[in-house]
Amino acid sequence: MKLTRRALFAAPCVVAASLAASEAQALDVELSATTAGQSYDVGSPWGYRLERRRLLQTVGFSMYHLQGDHAPGEPDYNLRLLGRIDADFGIGNHLDGTIADAETSFDVAGGSRFVPGLAIARFDLMYAYIEGKNLADGWFGFRAGRQYVTDALGWWSFDGGLVRLTTPFYVDVELYGGLEQRGGLPLSTHRFESQGVWRGSHSGFDEEGGPRSSDYPSYQFAAEAPAFGAAIESAGPNWLHARLTYRRVYNTGEAFAGAFPLAGTTGYRTVDGLRLSSERVGWAGYVNKTDLGGLKGGFAYDVYNATFSNAYGGLEVYAGPRVTVGADADHYKPTFDADSIFNWFSHEPNTTATGRVAVRITKEIDVAGSGGARLWATQGDPDELGEIGCRAINLPADCAGESYVDPNRPGVIDPTAPGAPQDARLAEASRAEENRGTSYLIDGLGQLVGRYLSTRGSVELRSMLQIGERGHRAGGDAGGEIFFDGKRYALGGRLSVYDFTDPRADANHTTSFGYVVGGGYKPIDITRIGAEWEHDMNERVGHRFRVMGRLDVLWVR
Amino acid sequence: MTMRATSPAPLWSAVALALGVALAFIAGLSLPAADADQEPAKATVGAPKKYTSGLHPMPNGDPVPLEWMPPGTKESPAPSDEIFPPQTLTIRFNHKKHVQDLKMSCKSSHGAAYQSAAASDRLLPEPTKTCDACHDVSHADLHRVVAGTEENGQCTYCHLGEGAGVGGRVARFVMPSPNLRFNHKKHLDRNIGCAQCHGRVEELELATREQLPRMAGCFGCHALPVPARGEAKGECTTCHLTEPSGKMVQEFATGQLLPPDWLHMSGHTPDWIERHKSVAGSDSKYCASCHSEEDCAECHDGRVRNRKVHPNDWITMHQAAARLDNPRCTSCHQETQFCGDCHRRVGVARDGPAGNRPTGARFHPPPSVWTNAPRTGEHHAWEAQRNLNACVSCHAERDCATCHATKGIAGGGGVSPHPAGFAKSCGQPLSRNPRPCMVCHGPGDGMLERCR
Repeated sequence: MKLTRRALFAAPCVVAASLAASEAQALDVELSATTAGQSYDVGSPWGYRLERRRLLQTVGFSMYHLQGDHAPGEPDYNLRLLGRIDADFGIGNHLDGTIADAETSFDVAGGSRFVPGLAIARFDLMYAYIEGKNLADGWFGFRAGRQYVTDALGWWSFDGGLVRLTTPFYVDVELYGGLEQRGGLPLSTHRFESQGVWRGSHSGFDEEGGPRSSDYPSYQFAAEAPAFGAAIESAGPNWLHARLTYRRVYNTGEAFAGAFPLAGTTGYRTVDGLRLSSERVGWAGYVNKTDLGGLKGGFAYDVYNATFSNAYGGLEVYAGPRVTVGADADHYKPTFDADSIFNWFSHEPNTTATGRVAVRITKEIDVAGSGGARLWATQGDPDELGEIGCRAINLPADCAGESYVDPNRPGVIDPTAPGAPQDARLAEASRAEENRGTSYLIDGLGQLVGRYLSTRGSVELRSMLQIGERGHRAGGDAGGEIFFDGKRYALGGRLSVYDFTDPRADANHTTSFGYVVGGGYKPIDITRIGAEWEHDMNERVGHRFRVMGRLDVLWVR
Repeated sequence: MTMRATSPAPLWSAVALALGVALAFIAGLSLPAADADQEPAKATVGAPKKYTSGLHPMPNGDPVPLEWMPPGTKESPAPSDEIFPPQTLTIRFNHKKHVQDLKMSCKSSHGAAYQSAAASDRLLPEPTKTCDACHDVSHADLHRVVAGTEENGQCTYCHLGEGAGVGGRVARFVMPSPNLRFNHKKHLDRNIGCAQCHGRVEELELATREQLPRMAGCFGCHALPVPARGEAKGECTTCHLTEPSGKMVQEFATGQLLPPDWLHMSGHTPDWIERHKSVAGSDSKYCASCHSEEDCAECHDGRVRNRKVHPNDWITMHQAAARLDNPRCTSCHQETQFCGDCHRRVGVARDGPAGNRPTGARFHPPPSVWTNAPRTGEHHAWEAQRNLNACVSCHAERDCATCHATKGIAGGGGVSPHPAGFAKSCGQPLSRNPRPCMVCHGPGDGMLERCR
């Protein structure tokens, strides 16, 4: 690991030094690094505490205007790279010394603490690409390497190429293809995969002393994921903008396809080869009249599940130069990787509607508040379906929670046949169309935020409320930062009070109070050092502490 | 260092300490700092009482009619402090008199604008070429200005400030260069007149900073459709200063450059973090005018908790927030891995290592309430329907398949999770990826055959 880091530091330094020695300022070079150490504990509900002793190290290197002098609208080439090491040296610290490696080594403690995929240090390349802009008289642009795509389908990363055609006909066209970034593959993280599948590297599996893959059938094999996409985006009018996008990603390689071993064996069924991971269409856009207001909206449609995973819209009215009022609606339904069975359990969306007012009181002070409701939907009425089920199996209407119908009993298929077993009759009642009308629970939502922003510092207030039958969370933060000596020194702090209830948890009501104090110092212009201390307290876990130190370096030439 | 005290006894003393720190902080912010960035000095404007014209845009300081202001004033009543830093005008000047009564043109005083290619060029009149022609004064040597005998040649006839004229002194006139790229010549060469950007200055007495352009006014040309726009390019960096990376410069001595509310509906209000997705989803290039990938990654792939998203004590609070889907975990986290890794280690996830969870220990309510049939009002099925992501953060497929897989070879309990009528639509997903079907349906399962 040290060698890798040294190499990472050394390469850009050599390039930078050679550039600095040259006469011409043909291009701009940027070196950046962030080092952040964090220490805090995470409690288990079963009494033990994980020690998180984390170190984050990023190193970035960019070269702008590779072609030489740059003029706006003229061809321009850039190279950008950012790598990251995310380590937790506290892994295993909570275990007895003889089994301290048990979380990452299967052969310690008989695998009883082994977490597949867990590693003390993970290294990933966040992006590494070369790009060209304004080529061919401004018609053409490209990007090659690991890169991000941001649109209505979310924030996504892939390794490959992207070309962009800029036309004088009000639209730009974008085409891209490559491999989705997937955890478990070299230099990659899980962040950009679709939800629902636990994948990772099986390095060390099925070797002597290592775990068998079949011991962890839910832990799937990481494999390359070919992907391609296209987008059409409006260009030109300032009062209107929209982007329509399409993307398809494939899964490859072997995957366990059964939850349980095949009868009489320890083996599992598997699938192999090219199959869909996700296929989605998205759109986002707005129409805006600068002296009146605007409309915005978007959606993401999951083709595999034939459903809208997200749709939203909003209206804003500029009620004077200092006041904006508006209303927003958001419809969300979880969808998952096409390898995941969770798709079958995602039936109902939640829908949120809010009204909003934002007021810029002065140039330095502005506030925004919103309020509304979130609707949680279910197929069937939770208060009635149990009763319906009880009646269907000839038990008292309040039998739910008292009686148990075993679904594993062998039974006849026809639930209406005389003497049909209880489970079949119950299933029939639960699935009957007339018993599955949509039912809602409603949460109330509110938010009030304010900000004072000046060249000498800032103060920010954030408060929120969500309350409903499924629990509540309410509270707020007050924080700020103040600078001294031309921002050479900084002091900051944050106070917070939150009250929350989770009816599912044992200690279901908690009030938390916390504060953070911190400071920063810039010994030289390209460097900033910071440290902060967080102390939280609540009835559930008592006191909780967190310390963090951070060093940021940004050098541009 | 002791990372945890078992008793919350000193809680309130810690609260008091924290409040004290907070009050001290707020007090510190409100006190003037001797070493803070200094704002431009405000001149003590005190004109001789006998002169009343040319002190304000309108006589007696009356408001300027909107139609005489620069285009875009309706959207932005004042010019940006970051683009046009505040000025201190220590002069009395009546444009209306000079233009309408004395028939002077803009060019006669601001002729330099016709050749100016940079916003930093000084375009104010040169007194030797303009003022001195009519006023009884010589500015030939600015260190030794010679006033004549006529009243209109005295220093205090035009210059303001306490002590103006005493010993030849005048108050300092401060007009910082704008933080902008602007080529006056290009615009004038295209017959874009002064009023098109500065409003009806000829109707005003004193022209102030208020007559400087507004971005909404620039958009009259710079936001036209590409074919109609001509050379009026629409990129932010056409006018705004840039860093080597091509991003706009955002930090100035007068503050941070933020987009106005009306621009792309992207006012960076205090709740912007909750609202930015609609703009980012449609126009990421616009965001990239000021932001790099790191800014997105800081939250969406961050490894250091951002307190604007997750406040203090988030570890305790996150389960309640996740159940309420506020904020939405999946906006930034791949749950199966990010949430799952920790949940397996603390023994919350059911498929975690056996040694991390006491035998028989249970996180959810008892089976009679949570899993058994017939369903209670607290049954897990309702929670799964309302917020499935909360389930996925802990559970692997096998947990679900235990009951929901078909009986027999698939090994489950035969409790179908599919809605009524699913058989009519199952063919498409089965043909494109059979894997999730196979988890619960064994080979030769008649239901699979019907889907095919």
